[in-house]
Amino acid sequence: MAAGGGGVADPLSPAGVPCAFSPLNQAYFALASADGQLRVWETANNRLHQEYVPSAHLSGTCTCLAWAPARLQAKESPQRKKRKSEAIGTSNQIDLLALGTAVGSILLYSTVKGELHSKLISGGHENKVNCIQWHQDNGCLYSCSDDKHIVEWNTQTCKVKCKWKGDNSSVSSLCISPDGKMLLSAGRTIKLWVLETKEIYRHFTGHATPVSSLLFTTVRPPSESQPFDGVTGLYFLSGAVHDRLLNVWQVRSENKEKNAVMSFTVTDEPVYIDLTLSENKEEPVKLAVVCKDAQVHLFEHILNGYCKKPLTSNCTIQIVTPGKGKKSTPKPIPILAAGFCSDKMSLLLVYGSWFQPTIERVALSSKEPHMCLVRDISNCWAPKVETAITKVRTPVMNCEAKVLVPGVPGHHAAIKPAPPQTEEGESKRKLGENEISIEERLGALDIDTKKEKDDLPQTNSFPVLLTQGLESNDFEMLNKVLQTRNLNLIKRTVLRMPLHAVIPLLQELTKRLQGHPNSALLMVQWLKCVLTVHASYLSTLPDLVPQLGTLYQLMESRVKTFQKLSHLHGKLILLITQVTASEKSKGMTCPEQKAKLVYEEESSEEESDDEIEKDSDDNWDEDDEDKESEKDEDVDEENEEEEEDTEEKDEENGEDRDVASEKELNGDSDLDPENESEEE
Amino acid sequence: MVAEESVRVVRCGGSELNFRRAVFSADSKYIFCVSGDFVKVHSTATEECVHILQGHRNLVTGIQLNPHNHLQLYSCSFDGTIKLWDYVDGILIKTFVVGHKLHALFTVTCAEDSVFVIINKGKQDIFQLVSVKLPKSSSQEIEAKELSCVLDYINQSPKCIAFGNEVCAAVRDFYLSVYFFKKKTTSRFTLSSSRNKKHAKNNFTCVACHPKEDCIATGHKDGKIRLWRNFDDDKKYTYTCLHWHHDMVMDLAFSVTGTSLLSGGRESVLVEWRDATEKNKEFLPRLGATIEHISVSPAGDLFCTSHSDNKIIVIHRNLEASAVIQGLVKDSNIFTGLMVDPRTKALVLNGKPGHLQFYSLQHDKQLYNLDIIQQEYINDYGLIQIELTKAAFGCYGNWLATVEQRQEKETELELQMKLWMYNKKTQGFVLNTKVNMPHEDHITALCFCNAEKSETPTLVTASKDGHFKVWILTDDSDIYKKAVAWTCDFVGSYHKYQATNCCFSEDGSLLAVSFEEIVTIWDSETWELKCTFCQRAGKIRHLCFGRLTCSKYLLGATENGILCCWNLLSCALEWSTKLNVRVMEPDPNSENIAAVSQSSVGSDLFVFKPSEPRPLYIQKNISREEVQWGVFVPRDVPESFTSEAYQWLNRSQFYFLTKSQSLLTFSTKSPEEKLTPTSKQLLAEESLPTTPFYFILGKHREKQDEKINKAFESELVQLPLTENIPAISELLHTPAHVLPSASLLCSKFVNSLLLSKETKSDEETLEDTDTEEEKESDDSDEENDFTEKILDTNNTDLGEDLLYQLSKSEEKELRKFRKVDYSWITAL
Repeated sequence: MAAGGGGVADPLSPAGVPCAFSPLNQAYFALASADGQLRVWETANNRLHQEYVPSAHLSGTCTCLAWAPARLQAKESPQRKKRKSEAIGTSNQIDLLALGTAVGSILLYSTVKGELHSKLISGGHENKVNCIQWHQDNGCLYSCSDDKHIVEWNTQTCKVKCKWKGDNSSVSSLCISPDGKMLLSAGRTIKLWVLETKEIYRHFTGHATPVSSLLFTTVRPPSESQPFDGVTGLYFLSGAVHDRLLNVWQVRSENKEKNAVMSFTVTDEPVYIDLTLSENKEEPVKLAVVCKDAQVHLFEHILNGYCKKPLTSNCTIQIVTPGKGKKSTPKPIPILAAGFCSDKMSLLLVYGSWFQPTIERVALSSKEPHMCLVRDISNCWAPKVETAITKVRTPVMNCEAKVLVPGVPGHHAAIKPAPPQTEEGESKRKLGENEISIEERLGALDIDTKKEKDDLPQTNSFPVLLTQGLESNDFEMLNKVLQTRNLNLIKRTVLRMPLHAVIPLLQELTKRLQGHPNSALLMVQWLKCVLTVHASYLSTLPDLVPQLGTLYQLMESRVKTFQKLSHLHGKLILLITQVTASEKSKGMTCPEQKAKLVYEEESSEEESDDEIEKDSDDNWDEDDEDKESEKDEDVDEENEEEEEDTEEKDEENGEDRDVASEKELNGDSDLDPENESEEE
Repeated sequence: MVAEESVRVVRCGGSELNFRRAVFSADSKYIFCVSGDFVKVHSTATEECVHILQGHRNLVTGIQLNPHNHLQLYSCSFDGTIKLWDYVDGILIKTFVVGHKLHALFTVTCAEDSVFVIINKGKQDIFQLVSVKLPKSSSQEIEAKELSCVLDYINQSPKCIAFGNEVCAAVRDFYLSVYFFKKKTTSRFTLSSSRNKKHAKNNFTCVACHPKEDCIATGHKDGKIRLWRNFDDDKKYTYTCLHWHHDMVMDLAFSVTGTSLLSGGRESVLVEWRDATEKNKEFLPRLGATIEHISVSPAGDLFCTSHSDNKIIVIHRNLEASAVIQGLVKDSNIFTGLMVDPRTKALVLNGKPGHLQFYSLQHDKQLYNLDIIQQEYINDYGLIQIELTKAAFGCYGNWLATVEQRQEKETELELQMKLWMYNKKTQGFVLNTKVNMPHEDHITALCFCNAEKSETPTLVTASKDGHFKVWILTDDSDIYKKAVAWTCDFVGSYHKYQATNCCFSEDGSLLAVSFEEIVTIWDSETWELKCTFCQRAGKIRHLCFGRLTCSKYLLGATENGILCCWNLLSCALEWSTKLNVRVMEPDPNSENIAAVSQSSVGSDLFVFKPSEPRPLYIQKNISREEVQWGVFVPRDVPESFTSEAYQWLNRSQFYFLTKSQSLLTFSTKSPEEKLTPTSKQLLAEESLPTTPFYFILGKHREKQDEKINKAFESELVQLPLTENIPAISELLHTPAHVLPSASLLCSKFVNSLLLSKETKSDEETLEDTDTEEEKESDDSDEENDFTEKILDTNNTDLGEDLLYQLSKSEEKELRKFRKVDYSWITAL
């Protein structure tokens, strides 16, 4: 694991706070902050796992930390062979964490028990500990310090095994070779030590400032021809304070080459470095370098020999705040650490403040050269004590969420216009015609209003207001009309309103029905009236189904409780009202008589309309009896057309009404469900 | 690297932690809980599992600290053994074989070498409390057959037995029996009201004994707590009532000093009764789930409650929860099945009521519960709650769809579907669309179209109302905001049959919806019905498309036990077989499909490719119980099994959940390999850190330690010497019948053990005597006696050692030396 650096005061000390991911599957992230506290976070759910304050945290702040290699749980079994019990999934446990302090002591902290395990002091360092490395096999611990010494500790006895002078200046970094027999140390120069004899094996020179990180990048030599002695041919990486280059070195059998083999260039001083070890020759080394300027640089490179030009990163990751409002610019969020997950395809990013960092798993894609993640960490400061105990997360439920209730468009599939089949062109043409008719409507409006003024002085204002309101979509005007409770007034208004306003009125009513339940109560009266009075007109409309689809769904969902009963009720009401209406109309002149003269359509067109209606009727998904009645209706309509033709000649009002009412009786069957809402 | 072993079924975490009362260690640092066949040792500070004590071959049913050595723990199990553990190192010390199925374990300080267990003798529901004498022996496995019955006809639950001051109380139904150890008699107290009123729920549920006084607390089904006193008299006994719980009292515990009584029940409120009075009550509410058990640490600083949702809460003395040990939540039924969150790779299933739990399989711990319903959960028996019935992840974890329902009566179904979007900015789910009553009847299936190329996220819901609905994400922007929302795009049905399953093909081009016995295939572009398959072999229970090279196949498993495979190109049945499939899961990383079938003996696993009717792998009897759900979890790092039979485990791991909600999986590693450490154990010695307290006391103690150490070291030096003494070996190796009587041998033998004189110390003493001889005459006799004593006490070791080995001349000198005045020593 890569290690961060320590104190802040010293200009030559590395940037960043000491932090590290736990080995194996990065379950935990340990961070020693400047206030001397150690915090361990769970990476999977971004939860503070534990907090520990060393007793001497003010005098000796933590300068470096390292996780002990995972150990398997002690499983002493005297009767191992007999046992068939099944082991629990994860048996290896991450436990000890070594902390180096500014006063030279080393603390071993047990994260499982949550307490200090032991303290390594006697015979150790006299000055700030710069780096700690665990030996992967034998439980030894290596530390280096500003006092120029390297110490080998025996953690079992907590005593110094060996202490030797590592450099003429302070030793800043350590790394143990993959085979565990060599040790790299960096002071003024990088030295490779043989651990058994503590003798220098190789020297490397190249960095001008103290080396802050050392890492072996490969475990196998690039060429497999010569016998592998454990270290020759391996590459390692070094990064230094204030240095924007990371150097790669190769341990060679002959001792002549001392310079770096190649280098990676980054934008600022590296704060945290992690890499995936390449296990074989073909597999590239993946390198993630967190820089001081809050950028993560990712490199992917197969290490094979020299490369003079410094390599630039394959991918850069930045994390920024969303920026409140339009004016403020997004600010970069500092990144504390980045570690590769075990699948090598995703990266764990730790960002935000060290007090409350956010840990996120980011999937890496090789394509993008630059990733900018917008993250809102403003609410991270909210106390999380409650969630720490209950482990409950509450997803956000705000008013911005869309709510779909039965009847609202979107809840059910929208009823689309009948699928255009062979006569696509024709239908298009018809649409065009419809559009033109808007002008006609405007024209008709004037005529109608005039007429109404003349003929019907008592309710003159209401139909006019209504039509005007619908045309202009004036909310107040509509309110004035629609919020009346007088049933008779409603009836008369509906009866006298122009036909072209029926569909807009129905749409307006639908909208209001979806709204507040109180207003819906009033709207139902209107709806009932409109449907009973203008059923005949509606049944003639070719595109009725798509236009009133939502209304149909709305009513369908509202009458669901006693569906059959309300069906029957609706039908009966319709019959009764039609019968009474026809009886009444016998003695009355119809105000819309003249409008009927507008019929100029050719019969062929009418037929096509019917066909469309038939098709669209199928979409209604209704009972069989409805379909039957539709057929009847079709027949009726044809009759009606003929009759209408004759109408024009005859101009006999009384007869005309009769026929019309008859037609309404039959033709309404497809609107039955709509009428059923009336009882609500 | 991996040894080719046979694939075994292994339990994968999440076993029941709340089966028995948890036990604290003497210093409250650790807490022990039973967990299936194991005992888990957790740290109370960090919630982490420190050790897993494994060795029992069946469910562990009881744990108790050894009253005579607080670093040891007894555990008993259904396998008929009592085991003694060293929990600090996690080592099994001894096994006592009792032979009977043990249901609970109790230890008492006064009983020297015996423990109490509940066993089942003879008939099914007749249980006895017996004391088992644990023989002392050095061997690992000891037979403990010496049983003596204490109480007969008791309740099997350990909550119904309590030990107090030389009494043992047991409750069952309507009576309390108290056994007096001294008198060896049993008294029985029956609650009178139980006879008269029909619905007086006076049944005893639990019992606890006061640690100091003669007082027994009993909990009752109607929520009352009775405190019994004077029970050593059959006539004059009294009891007082404490009543707060409205429902059954689940458990009772006295604090260590006995000043307060803790009780808990379904209300999930921990009640502390101070001084056993009704007025002084303290509460710790909102603990999340029914309190099953309460226990108190011997040090008295911690309590803990075990809850029905498989968690243990560690609570401070001042009633503040400090730690939660949470296993896989097992309270509710699993309706959602097992899913894998593509983002966190966690296993997702029903958790706490109304929550989805995210469980990390790698770390074997719960990550968090996601509160979907967001309504206060009322813990009450018989309430019909809103249940989270379906959930699905879509689009790489960017969308989560959940369905919740509540049905009080046949006609009153409440349904709600919520669609949550993962907000990357805040790293959490945000509700996007809420749909009330998406269907008129229960939703039977929910699936996202997870094809890579699909532009608009698509969700399909199938319902019993005979429709399936296709929901798509559309633009919902208006002048105020930019937004996206889900709307219904298409409603499909097939002859009013109930839609039972739905699934998308891998590329998202086809949607298969099963309507009872018929499978319909729809084009996802135009939502046209493409073709139907009908096998007339019962309702379709599972439906899935083949993947990768097998994408032209569609598999359906029916309730009549037929597994069919249709070829989508020829629209014909490719093959079918008779298999009663309970679980069918496709592997996202390969063509493989796992099917678990149910037979009378157990469940069998079949892994096959749709293209071949012959299975790749069969494992019989993976579980005795019915397997309810299964899922393939992609591995982070692929394994490399070379043998053909295990190749299906290379890229994914198969997890399944049985009816009793134990999560199982397959492993090829042998148990030995799992147990033996691959790397050397890192055992660092604990060295005490210096604290201010240490500075005060430490020096003093250090001196003492040094003294002890010195003595100890000198002993250590002597030890090798004793081995070389011929007299010992002679004595030990001669047969007993040849040896002379002990009285003869004794002095000689003891003499042989004495150290030969050390010249240095002798010289010193001689020098001393020389200088002090001068003052000899001045002193009185009384003082002489006094100094002699000092000499004796100070130099006992040295003196005795020397006395016997001094030569005659020296002995004379010593006699003189005894008369020497040492009064100056006292002056020093």
